[in-house]
Amino acid sequence: MRSGTSQIRLSWQEPATGELREPLLTLPVALGRVLDQMPAQLQGQPVSRIVLDSGQLSRFHALLTLEQGNLTLTDQNSTNGTWINGVRQTRGILNSGDSFQIGPYRIGIVAAGARAAARTVRSSEESFIQLDEPNEPEQAPERATSNFPPACFRSQQVRVQDLYATGLPVEEIDYAGVGAGLGSFIWVDYLRNFGVSRQQIKVVGLELEPYAKYQRLCLNSQIPAHERLRSNSDSCPDNLWGWPSYALREAWHDFQKGSMASAWRYLWQVFAEPTLAETYTPRAGNVFASIDREAARIGWEQMYQYGRVQAIRKTNDGRYAIAYSRGRGDHAFLVTRYLHLATGYPVVKFLPDLQEYRERTNNFKSVVNAYEAHDHVYQQLERQGGTVVIRGRGIVASRIIQRLYEARRRNPNIALLHLMRSPKPQGNKFGTAQRTVENHFEFQPFNWPKACWGGELRVQLEQASPEQRRSLISDWGGTTTADRGDWKQIVQEGLNQGWYQINFGEVIRVEPDPQGRPTTYIREKGPKGEIKLDADFIIDATGLDGKVKSSPLLNDLVTHYNLPLNPLDRLAVTNHFEVAEMRNDRGRVYAAGAITFGGPYAAVDSFLGLQYSALWAVDSLAAARAPRLKSLKGWASYKQWLKWVRNQAP
Amino acid sequence: MTPTLLGRWQTRILLFQTVGLLVTLLFTEGVIGPGGGVFLWVLEYLFIFGLGWDVLYNYLQKFRWDRDWPGALQLAAGVWEAFFIVLVIGFFGLPGIFFLDLGWFLVHYSLVWLAIYIASQSLMRILFPRWRFRGGVWL
Repeated sequence: MRSGTSQIRLSWQEPATGELREPLLTLPVALGRVLDQMPAQLQGQPVSRIVLDSGQLSRFHALLTLEQGNLTLTDQNSTNGTWINGVRQTRGILNSGDSFQIGPYRIGIVAAGARAAARTVRSSEESFIQLDEPNEPEQAPERATSNFPPACFRSQQVRVQDLYATGLPVEEIDYAGVGAGLGSFIWVDYLRNFGVSRQQIKVVGLELEPYAKYQRLCLNSQIPAHERLRSNSDSCPDNLWGWPSYALREAWHDFQKGSMASAWRYLWQVFAEPTLAETYTPRAGNVFASIDREAARIGWEQMYQYGRVQAIRKTNDGRYAIAYSRGRGDHAFLVTRYLHLATGYPVVKFLPDLQEYRERTNNFKSVVNAYEAHDHVYQQLERQGGTVVIRGRGIVASRIIQRLYEARRRNPNIALLHLMRSPKPQGNKFGTAQRTVENHFEFQPFNWPKACWGGELRVQLEQASPEQRRSLISDWGGTTTADRGDWKQIVQEGLNQGWYQINFGEVIRVEPDPQGRPTTYIREKGPKGEIKLDADFIIDATGLDGKVKSSPLLNDLVTHYNLPLNPLDRLAVTNHFEVAEMRNDRGRVYAAGAITFGGPYAAVDSFLGLQYSALWAVDSLAAARAPRLKSLKGWASYKQWLKWVRNQAP
Repeated sequence: MTPTLLGRWQTRILLFQTVGLLVTLLFTEGVIGPGGGVFLWVLEYLFIFGLGWDVLYNYLQKFRWDRDWPGALQLAAGVWEAFFIVLVIGFFGLPGIFFLDLGWFLVHYSLVWLAIYIASQSLMRILFPRWRFRGGVWL
């Protein structure tokens, strides 16, 4: 660090949301959990105080100062310590490219002084790509046109007569779902099993199969039908009881085919996981097939309505009006008493430097996102060999590494450079427990600790205040991958043989080389400075983004009704997943899935989490005496389960 | 399984006093084994001690990152609880239990444990759809 520089740019990923933060700060910088516990001034200089949300941090955890021209990090006698470049230290000098870890935060020093000020960083909030969408009958995705939704949608409450006056089709219904993906499907499945008839329900979305979008993301991220999802055996979107679980079904299936060994293995896995056996996870194809069966049983196709929802408004008679387009300029309205929003992830996060590269070079083939269709990468590698840079170290990165390992069997001239922002010396801590780490991958069977779905941690999060929730989510969340023996073996084999390498560093820029291949310039830790990574492809495996404002529909709803967002910028919902501010006399709006993340429940975007939110929402509707909806328990639950077994309509 | 303490207690109460009792009746009535009220005493002692063991299990669970309690640990806990009650009866004795045939105790105990384990994995989920989301709380 040159003397005289008093500014630094720190860089970290929010453990709760995965968002990139790169603030430019004036030294000294204090880091901790409580603003008031950090000094506002030091030796007459104002202190930049950074509040980080995690119970693993001390109230005043560490201090960054400039001492004799050196950027110095001093641990403030914190409970859980400070790691500098992977080593626990109480005091150390930092250079550009170095990183330190406090609690779940892994913070890099990007640059200091003049460089820091000059660097323009696109915020990660603005860096995303749209998810692939199915082909629509309409020519181009139709946004709100001049005369639709009609002018009456500008008011707070729409008069139902005004909808009829437009001359467009209007349908009135008791229960309506928006999204028609897995979140909608699971909610409707509960409604049907709780006694609501097919004729009372309508679901608006873009694809008939409720798993269509999910399946596309799976296929793009290299999970074909025979591969296993990161989902629990008893997380069954087709069966609200979770019994028989996918492991039992697969064991039974294999048993009938005479494969005793695999049948016993699945049973042993669910008995002993995760301590004595690898966690069982279902095959993607089996899950989709089971959803097809349940969809046919509950009459999903009859309840489904193709359409792109443009706007949602309260009506003057205690209901909601949904304005949607059916393609080719064909518009219609749906009026409902109870509304369920489950629109899923609106966009895929894309690393800002990669996004910039694509925009600058117009090359969409060599820099790709793992959630986009990118089979051409593997095809070319299998044909010609080459080098791939992987960014991100979550479950998707693991699956991509496995796919590249398979490609290497066809062509051994494939090398993998795994670019990580910082080393991961130790896993997250919570209370008396700690997550395990190996080769800088942090392991957890699912994307949250298991007790988040139905155990102690669920209760704890539900009872916490919105701010406490953010801190708990930081401690429990973060990027993890599954502790799969085959994946660990691939990584170890690759490291030993040299075709898989892990590089640490902050990306400075990505530029095309003379052959048009993407070259990544990174600042490595220590004095070495800038190094170059040449590659044929860069795969961004960093994840999905569920921010409300990325969705035009939700953004309109939030703006129009001034709806509150939770501390993670998603829809604020009650413990029953109701959007309380949308209450309209007897009418109620519920939400589920990624758009509610940061609220009372952590695992909102999982199969079981969608079942949880559907159950809590439908229970609250039953308590409100919604038409034909009867709470399901005991004998009634058993009778419904028997119908499921016999494949009879509920 | 990711039980909470309240859930452990509630599930233990329900399953011991229904499924556990039904299996025990087969033994007290002599359908299996020599018969006699001693099996009922054993069941209720297991139940009472179990409420205390649940506090320990709940504490141990906090050392597990996932805060879960897989079947394998339920089995280990079951072996421990059987061992403990045999020791207590052998060394100190318990009111109501004058004589215990170790062989028949093990048959009775194993069947009770297995019946309760299977019921918790299947019947509880079917009769109480919220049970698995509430850490074993069914009331």
